Amino acid sequence: MSTHPIKELGEVALTEEGMTFHDVTETVASVTERSAPRNWWIALFIAASFAGVFGAAVGYLVWQGVGVWGNNAPVYWAWDITNFVWWIGIGHAGTLISAVLFLFRQKWRTAINRAAEAMTIFAVICALMFPGIHVGRPWLAYYMFPLPNSMAIWPNFKSPLIWDLFAVSTYFTVSTLFWYVGLIPDLASLRDRAMGMTGKFAKVRATAYGALALGWRGANRHWQHYERAYMILAALSTPLVLSVHSVVSFDFSTSVEPGWHTTIFPPYFVAGAVFSGFAMVMTLMLIVRAVYGMKAVITMKHLELMNKIMLVTGTLVGYAYGMEFFIAAYSGNPYEKYVFMNRAFGPYSWAYWTMITCNVVSPQLFWSKKLRTSIPVMFAVSIFINIGMWFERFVIIVTSLHRDFLPSSWGYYRPTAVDVCTYLGTLGLFFTLFLLFIRWVPMIAIAEIKGVLPQADPHAEEHGDHEHHDHAAESDAALAPGE
Amino acid sequence: MSRRKPYAPLGGAKETKLWKSAEERNDREAARARAATEFMPGAVEDVVEPTADEAAARLGRRGFMGFGAATAALVSQACIRRNVEKILPYTKAPEYVIPGVANHYATIIDTRGELVGALVESHEGRPTKIEGNELHPMSGGSTDLIMQASVMDLYDADRSDSALKSGKKVAMSEVEAAIAAVLATAQSDGGAKLRVLMRPTSSPTVVRLREAMKARLPHARVHTYSPVSEGNIREGARLAFGQAVMPLADFQKARVILSLDCDFLQTEQGSVRASRLFARGRKVEKAEDTMSRLYVVEPGSTITGANADHRLRLPARDVEVYARALAAELVAGGAEMGTVKASLGAEKPAGAAEKWLKVVAKELLANKGKSVVVAGRRQPAQVHALVNAINTALDNVGSTVSYAPVADTTEPADLAADLKALVTDIDGGKVDALFIVDGNPFYDAPGELGFKTALAKVKTSVHLSAKVDETTEKSAWHIPMTHELEAWGDGRALDGSWSVRQPQIAPLHGGRSEVEMWAMLAGVAAKPYDVVRDTFRASAATPSLFESAWSKALQTGLVERSNSVKFDARASFDDVAASLAKLKPQGAPVGDSNVEITFTSCPRMHDGRHANNPWLQELPDTMTKLVWDNAALIAPKMAKRLGLKSGDVVSLSRAGATLEVAVWVQPGLVDNSVQLALGWGRTAAGRYGNGRGFDVSSLRSAASMGFTDGVKLAATGKTYDLVQTQDHHSMEGRPIALDATLEQFRENPEFAKFRSPTPKTLPLWDRQQYTGHKWGMAFDMNACTGCNACVVACTSENNVAFVGKDQVYRGREMHWLRIDRYYTDDDFTGDNKIEGTEGDQNLPGNPPVIFQPIACVHCEEAPCENVCPVNATAHGAEGLNDMAYNRCIGTRYCANNCPYKVRRFNFLNWRGEPMYGDMPETEKMQFNPNVTVRMRGVMEKCSYCVQRIEEGKIGARRDGKTLGGNDVVSACQQACPSEAIFFGDLNDPSSKVAKAHKSDRGYAVLADLGTHPRTLHLGKVRNPNKEMMG
Repeated sequence: MSTHPIKELGEVALTEEGMTFHDVTETVASVTERSAPRNWWIALFIAASFAGVFGAAVGYLVWQGVGVWGNNAPVYWAWDITNFVWWIGIGHAGTLISAVLFLFRQKWRTAINRAAEAMTIFAVICALMFPGIHVGRPWLAYYMFPLPNSMAIWPNFKSPLIWDLFAVSTYFTVSTLFWYVGLIPDLASLRDRAMGMTGKFAKVRATAYGALALGWRGANRHWQHYERAYMILAALSTPLVLSVHSVVSFDFSTSVEPGWHTTIFPPYFVAGAVFSGFAMVMTLMLIVRAVYGMKAVITMKHLELMNKIMLVTGTLVGYAYGMEFFIAAYSGNPYEKYVFMNRAFGPYSWAYWTMITCNVVSPQLFWSKKLRTSIPVMFAVSIFINIGMWFERFVIIVTSLHRDFLPSSWGYYRPTAVDVCTYLGTLGLFFTLFLLFIRWVPMIAIAEIKGVLPQADPHAEEHGDHEHHDHAAESDAALAPGE
Repeated sequence: MSRRKPYAPLGGAKETKLWKSAEERNDREAARARAATEFMPGAVEDVVEPTADEAAARLGRRGFMGFGAATAALVSQACIRRNVEKILPYTKAPEYVIPGVANHYATIIDTRGELVGALVESHEGRPTKIEGNELHPMSGGSTDLIMQASVMDLYDADRSDSALKSGKKVAMSEVEAAIAAVLATAQSDGGAKLRVLMRPTSSPTVVRLREAMKARLPHARVHTYSPVSEGNIREGARLAFGQAVMPLADFQKARVILSLDCDFLQTEQGSVRASRLFARGRKVEKAEDTMSRLYVVEPGSTITGANADHRLRLPARDVEVYARALAAELVAGGAEMGTVKASLGAEKPAGAAEKWLKVVAKELLANKGKSVVVAGRRQPAQVHALVNAINTALDNVGSTVSYAPVADTTEPADLAADLKALVTDIDGGKVDALFIVDGNPFYDAPGELGFKTALAKVKTSVHLSAKVDETTEKSAWHIPMTHELEAWGDGRALDGSWSVRQPQIAPLHGGRSEVEMWAMLAGVAAKPYDVVRDTFRASAATPSLFESAWSKALQTGLVERSNSVKFDARASFDDVAASLAKLKPQGAPVGDSNVEITFTSCPRMHDGRHANNPWLQELPDTMTKLVWDNAALIAPKMAKRLGLKSGDVVSLSRAGATLEVAVWVQPGLVDNSVQLALGWGRTAAGRYGNGRGFDVSSLRSAASMGFTDGVKLAATGKTYDLVQTQDHHSMEGRPIALDATLEQFRENPEFAKFRSPTPKTLPLWDRQQYTGHKWGMAFDMNACTGCNACVVACTSENNVAFVGKDQVYRGREMHWLRIDRYYTDDDFTGDNKIEGTEGDQNLPGNPPVIFQPIACVHCEEAPCENVCPVNATAHGAEGLNDMAYNRCIGTRYCANNCPYKVRRFNFLNWRGEPMYGDMPETEKMQFNPNVTVRMRGVMEKCSYCVQRIEEGKIGARRDGKTLGGNDVVSACQQACPSEAIFFGDLNDPSSKVAKAHKSDRGYAVLADLGTHPRTLHLGKVRNPNKEMMG
């Protein structure tokens, strides 16, 4: 069996050369079996503290009303919706990596797809908080659902917020299913490994993973169904990548507000979402890779490819920024023109130039091979992009609202401490969930990684050397847990 | 407590042989063993005998019952209904009171010391809203902002509810006994050491009682003081006519109006009537229509100045010079002013271009008998005398200006001097007892007079006041005063109309009225009702008709023909000339080193008596848009020179008095004149008024109640937070509030439509046809003077919340209707220059102003409706953009998508926490029961007074009539004194609003968005004089 890629077939190493099936299982699964490293506990403590701050901030918000935030007239939406769109955007990379790249047979995705999908789900959870808590009377937010009621009132299906609600909840459901389906073989691996374990919680572990693995035995038929289900879900998810953020952008683009009422929004938002999603995946992967020593699985090759995607999407976003200005000038609409001049040179120009610097300028570094393969550079840039994309939403929402049609109603927005706590709190919630995920769930798709090992190739033996090996290498994880 | 023991056989008795089966009877032990194993092991545990401990822990039957009972008791306690508070039903319904149907009663309301006829809307005996009385000549059916807000004064939670003796609560009888004792003592020396301090009055009953008191105590003296007085006007009339009369200008008839520092549209008396007539005199619908031209000469920033066609900025001090120079110009132009000519002098006002004399004089002379000159109350009496002479010379008397007799002819001309006399007497030990009947001299007396120290020297001081205010705190006795809606009274309006004041509600906190106080002093024992009737009876021409005349006066709110006395004499030029000769020469000119300060009656607080009215506190000043504060207004030029910006604290000092006050840079002011509004900086006004703004009375002196120069201004380096509701003043070249000159209007009457066209795109769907009622509104910006009455009316009618200074700073004010104030770049007077380049200094010097009232415009294609996810805002069948508050979850998307930004969101619970704790019970009484009080988290906005529409429809259905196009009147429309607001059914072509919508000047704001608003705005037309321009 060859453990080297067959260069003649155009194969490239997607893991470090020389990795065996067992190495993969061991590397990934052991993270959930060993006791957590000290740093994990420290990180969890910090993250959970912030999540607690989130709970307190939201409790105070619900008790007192939206007035505890800085939102005002005319800036009725501010950090709340900024955070919502930002999180939704971050939640985009998961689906893109899992579904779109899967369909395009981009095998390098296997190293990052699991974590990216998890990140998607957690980001969408954070995002979904905001439509619920930002309303004036959160206890009545269920009015948005089409529930039969004695008043015979339906939601207003003309409202983009309703589209948004359906789009995001659909996305959440499909992403969760997709993630979970992909997890089943790996959960079975964990179950099987737990069966052989001794210790206090071995039984609990085995039962829990057993229940979650849904009786997966790695049978041929299982694999057949699994592959088909995965393919279908991937096909279902792919349009969602485009639709979710398009629909989110409708919240703005279908309105009459200058700065919002723009046809470029759907593609521009999608590009931005992919951009920010990859940046967040990059940030997280670099940390995980360093902390858990996963350099063998998440290779520089992966990182470089992701940086290339960021360069492309960042440039797309930059194009959109420029095009907005062009259209505003070309339209001759004085309100539109004013809004864009005000963005760049008005009271919020600092936010605008922060956005430009982070989103348009910083990814340009990746034209250089040296820089896009430098870990510190890509880490810094990914953080910049996260910040820049937050500012993009802030700029779109706040600078458009604060000066619209009637100058008599112009205003200025300042966040309050509760705004800041709510935002930092969602970060805490996100990282809490993510830390729990890397602790208890295989953070890398074991079965898929094995599928891209050179020895999984049916022709491996022709070019390889010695012993015979089962071609259905993927089932190896489930069949031979103790390997 | 004993617990009953269960019955048990006595111990030691032989066990009775009882058996249940034959087996048991035969072999008891075996049967028991068998019974024990009857069920599976563990199925019946009871067979195992409990140990002693277990038995003790076990819940027995009695224990169970006890526990159960306690649980039931606790559970039922927790779920008990709130205490039932029984209210008494109308078993004997008062006549005319139908629950749910409001009654209206005629009365008079005091606004800026003037009485205006009003109708009070009363729900089940609870006054909730003040409207104007159509039959009353000073109201004509409309009101000003203070009248609208006065109902909130009634429900002021900080009103005094008990008599006080040195600050401690005592029974009213105790105060009355003390007063009786004082009066008895006083009678021995004819009241030589007894003084009464009152506010100026126009009440014949008060005057009658006062004279009765004087007859009883011939040596007692009555002093009159008010921080804002009409003394100069009265004295000016006395100088010219030999008699104190009040001028009443007919601004409708006048074609040329010259205002000499006279804010006749707002802070002067008679503003309601003046606004109506002024607006009527400027109506232009067709090219051949004419309109009046208004020249204003003033130092500060007023709405009258904002409505001027040409406005001259002149220090208040120099207005007199201008008046004399103008008179000289008039004489030169051929006006006959007799000996006045010689005493005019040759001085010319510095800072006024020659055209301001030549052109204005020419216009006045060309419009003899059709012009009017008015002067403000703070200008010296000689200016008023001269103005009377000018109006006489221009043949305006009897045509555009008439004079009405005053109710209280003995009122001194100089009230500050009168107060000074009192202070001197107190200091001289001549006063033992002082009765202060209403008024707050401790707060509002000029600092120089030393009233504060004098008051402490009076042995017995009795203060009748609605509040425990600054004066009360220093008085020995206090009697709570009833509100004007709670007591009988009467009074004469500015034109002499006599009205009876009817109580609308029993006094909420007990107390005594002004009439009762005077009756006490006069030794009249009759009840106030009879006292007022007695005054009326005495003046009734035919005693036999008294009862019918009385009830008619109550019903109509006006004593018939009581204003028929008119005084149209010509001014005596000789007397005017003599008075002018006495004018003191002016000192050094107002300049950088000699700053002038002017004191104005605050447009909202007047003299401070309304300081605890949260509606007025939160009402944006029309010119500055400041809320919850006053400030020292300075010109941008001055700000630039001194490097000041809005919010900087400066110290103003003159003659030993120093005041630290925040400045506000306001366009339109003359350089080196600082405008200070009275009525702020109260320390004992109540929860809303305390510590708001700056008390400026310390800078006043008896000799300079209106203005003074010789003031030093120095920056202190401190800053103060001033909050305004509109911080951008330019339209940025957008077609929003549109205006044109009369000439441009004649050329293109549709100038406004032309600039704001409705898009001609094909609709994507069939537009809704409205076949029933089709409600619509129009704001005539040509008529709107910016007086703010509509904003308060809307607040009062629609239970609009106030939110406090901090929340306004955050941009969360709740007004459904606002008046946008824009400055335009036009220059009709040749001095509208941008003064500086930075921040607050980057403001125009003397800009034309345009007011644009705007509320929800009820778009037929409303952007807000599409975006609401829960259908909480939807279109009604009659074209109303309705809000379903119960359905609203508060996404605020509608407000984002509203291009007019007229939606208001309840960010917090404004009715309780967090502002000032829970809402006081009395304030809740003000709520209009026909309008939902909105909770936090809910969006709200103008509803076109849907409750009034429904009321009208119900009434029409009940009476079997059809509802006419003018039958429903919105609250803002009803209040508007200048008839600038039209509301009604657009499907009724005879309705005013349908006609307004057909006006050439009509246009839809932001029409290019295709919103098809139901509210149109009518473009403003200005009437500048070509000779003045350039």
